Amino acid sequence: MKLVSLLCAAAASLSLTGAALAAPDHVFLDPGAIGKPPVDSWTSFNGDYTGRRYSTLKQVTPANVSQLAQKWVYRITGVGAQRGAPEPVIKGTPLLVNGVLFTTIPDHVYALDARTSRLLWQYDWVDHGGHLVGQRGVAIWKSTVFFQTPDDWLIALDANTGKELWRKQYADARKQYFSTSAPLIVKNHVIIGVGGDAMDMPGFLNAYDPDTGKLQWTWWSTPRKGDPALKTWPNEAASEHGGGMTWMPGTYDASLNLLFWPTGNTNPVFAGQGRPGNNLWTESLVALDADTGKLKWHYQVSPHDTHDFDDNTAPILFDRMVDGKLRHLVSQASRSGYFFTLDRLTGKYLVAKPYVPLDYVSGLSPNGEPIPIPDKDPQVGGSINIVNATNWPNPAYNPDASLFYVNSVEGKSIYYLVDDSAHPSGYGGTGAGIGVSKRVLKAIDPLTGDAVWKHEYPNLNGAPTTVAPGMLTTASNLLVTGDDQKDLIVYGADKGEILWHQELGANVSNGPITYMLDGKQWLLVGAGDSLYAYALPDGAASR
Amino acid sequence: MLGRKFARFGFCGALLAAALLTAAVGQEAGPAPAAPRRGPNATPAQREAATHAFLGLGVEPDKAAAARGAPLFQQSCSFCHGPEARGAEGPSLVTSDVVLGDDHGEHLVPFLKAGRPDKGMPSFASIPDAQLHDIAEFLHLQVEDVANRGTYHVLNILVGDANKGGAYVAANCMSCHTDASFAHIAGKFRSPDQLQRGWIWPNRPADHSLDVTAIVKTPDGATVSGRVVQISDFRVTLTDTGGQNHVIDRGPGVDVEVHDPLAPHQAMLMTLKNDDMHNVTAYLETLK
Repeated sequence: MKLVSLLCAAAASLSLTGAALAAPDHVFLDPGAIGKPPVDSWTSFNGDYTGRRYSTLKQVTPANVSQLAQKWVYRITGVGAQRGAPEPVIKGTPLLVNGVLFTTIPDHVYALDARTSRLLWQYDWVDHGGHLVGQRGVAIWKSTVFFQTPDDWLIALDANTGKELWRKQYADARKQYFSTSAPLIVKNHVIIGVGGDAMDMPGFLNAYDPDTGKLQWTWWSTPRKGDPALKTWPNEAASEHGGGMTWMPGTYDASLNLLFWPTGNTNPVFAGQGRPGNNLWTESLVALDADTGKLKWHYQVSPHDTHDFDDNTAPILFDRMVDGKLRHLVSQASRSGYFFTLDRLTGKYLVAKPYVPLDYVSGLSPNGEPIPIPDKDPQVGGSINIVNATNWPNPAYNPDASLFYVNSVEGKSIYYLVDDSAHPSGYGGTGAGIGVSKRVLKAIDPLTGDAVWKHEYPNLNGAPTTVAPGMLTTASNLLVTGDDQKDLIVYGADKGEILWHQELGANVSNGPITYMLDGKQWLLVGAGDSLYAYALPDGAASR
Repeated sequence: MLGRKFARFGFCGALLAAALLTAAVGQEAGPAPAAPRRGPNATPAQREAATHAFLGLGVEPDKAAAARGAPLFQQSCSFCHGPEARGAEGPSLVTSDVVLGDDHGEHLVPFLKAGRPDKGMPSFASIPDAQLHDIAEFLHLQVEDVANRGTYHVLNILVGDANKGGAYVAANCMSCHTDASFAHIAGKFRSPDQLQRGWIWPNRPADHSLDVTAIVKTPDGATVSGRVVQISDFRVTLTDTGGQNHVIDRGPGVDVEVHDPLAPHQAMLMTLKNDDMHNVTAYLETLK
């Protein structure tokens, strides 16, 4: 092993002199490589299908991480304000294929030479509507890049030139559907989710043929006529307007051929009086057959949600011995403040436990689903409940430490019902944070739901709930994330001690990634409008 | 972490409260500086317009036309579609494809003229075009009122029992406060919901009397104290009583103790019951 890395380092130093001149390779991603643990590439939003954001790379270690040196910074310029955002913020996870990085902001895709950050091509979309709040990145299959626009087009681009190959519109921005997600490629399916809860529209997932753009299947996140799940709604019309957006990429188990996808908040959002019932399959983790979109099982995280608990965090897949048996599990730290671990074959729960202080739940149903206390629903006079306990910035799981990591927020909000009519629509209420909110990094044992270690970030200004650094963890016992004060921070994954930090130009705003390139392990982080690339200096790698 | 003692946390401030006014909702709100017109000091019209643009809600309804259309809608349409067009015997129109696909009547006016006889909707061809346009704008305003949460405002939040609120204050607040703390308190706020926010989590006043403070011991044995400008894992910035700033790196041997005078309010907030909140607000509202 040691010899191999020495050889690699030697080869790298030989080739480095020519690297600046060498053009990146022709981009072609073998579909069979998608979803595999990333080594010299990063081929999907989460790196692999499990959602762990775990790298097997070990060149950067707790001992040498403090020697990481900045290789380049790429700043997105020339875009300017985007309807409500004064400057672009990189919220997507870049992909790396054949030495080319693909990164995004709403309406724009950039292909960069990973060695130098030289811009190879840029694709600019002119939207006609939609919410430009974020863009999570592209998907790649063979030599095609797939990109979702704010106004709900799936665009196929030539990965080598940026030229458009085809486009499909999958939702109507006039109904306030908008898109921020990264597509997920599974076999010959390009799977896309959608956002938008300003109006009362139903969520869905679509699967497309990557070659032709032909629609293969649709799964609606609320039930239609004849479905037994309709009994969780007062009527079909309420279900058809019940929300449940699918705006973050899911995960996938190839051996079960199951997609695991979180569904967003119920509509109307804060005013639940027009939709008595649990409101399936909003606010749920659902398991779907990847070839048909058929529902295999569901677990509802927030039955009858009235707090925009918008379940969208990554369902992370891992296997563990439990009572002497190997179990295939899925865990999620939800925005509702509950952490849960389920059997991913059946959806049966092993653990359902709060990971932030909360008092809105009276107990668990027989399925292990939290039962909300009606008095904690938004009220005309105000109702105190938790702020969202986390949000889309990705969590991580380290199989060596057996820990699940989440940047949580502990705090309270006052929720007002502003529409107390029998037929509310839209949001129908508001929520405003009050008092101290603090960000706490938690390393949770997924078999108990308890934090093995935690780190509270000091900050006079508290913590925003909606934007936080994502996470990366490695086989060399590193956990990479950041605070809300522009610091990129690397922790020891098993114990949580701070190993290194670096002040950037803005808060870490995406999920950091790592990969081997020319014999070096690179670390790539998005913060504000810039990507920051790091690697160990020559000589440090072999220590 | 790193052997630092850091027993007490209690941070926050009015800034945070302002930032979070819009932060708790939606897929995500923009950062507070991104949209100053959506902050607490925006006029209602600014807030509406900024949120409309931020959400990408398309063309804005013609409010004057919508006002003319309102009585026409109530007369001709509300029986089937409800007074706010959210459905009665007929379907909701605020989520209707025809309504959402229309900008200023170009689709809706011909649609209303034709009606939908197969589904029991009569033709409204007898109504002049100008009035049908007004009805269309009324429908677009109903959509706007739903989709643009910048148009939302709280209802009458005074739902509590003032006597019970007085008893709560007497039992829970007087170990720190005196009657003078509450004299004329309602007159200091623009509205009952501002009062409710304000008594639960007071704005830190300009005289710095409620600021977060810290005592920092450095490895050489020196002590620096003052109000906290900012603190992270790596640095603490203080302003001492003489107005001098101190930026101290939090390396080994640096000990920071933070004190937040509002910590008792945070402790109260974490367990405050809705009834008690409503009752205290009702009580304080009587103290004009």
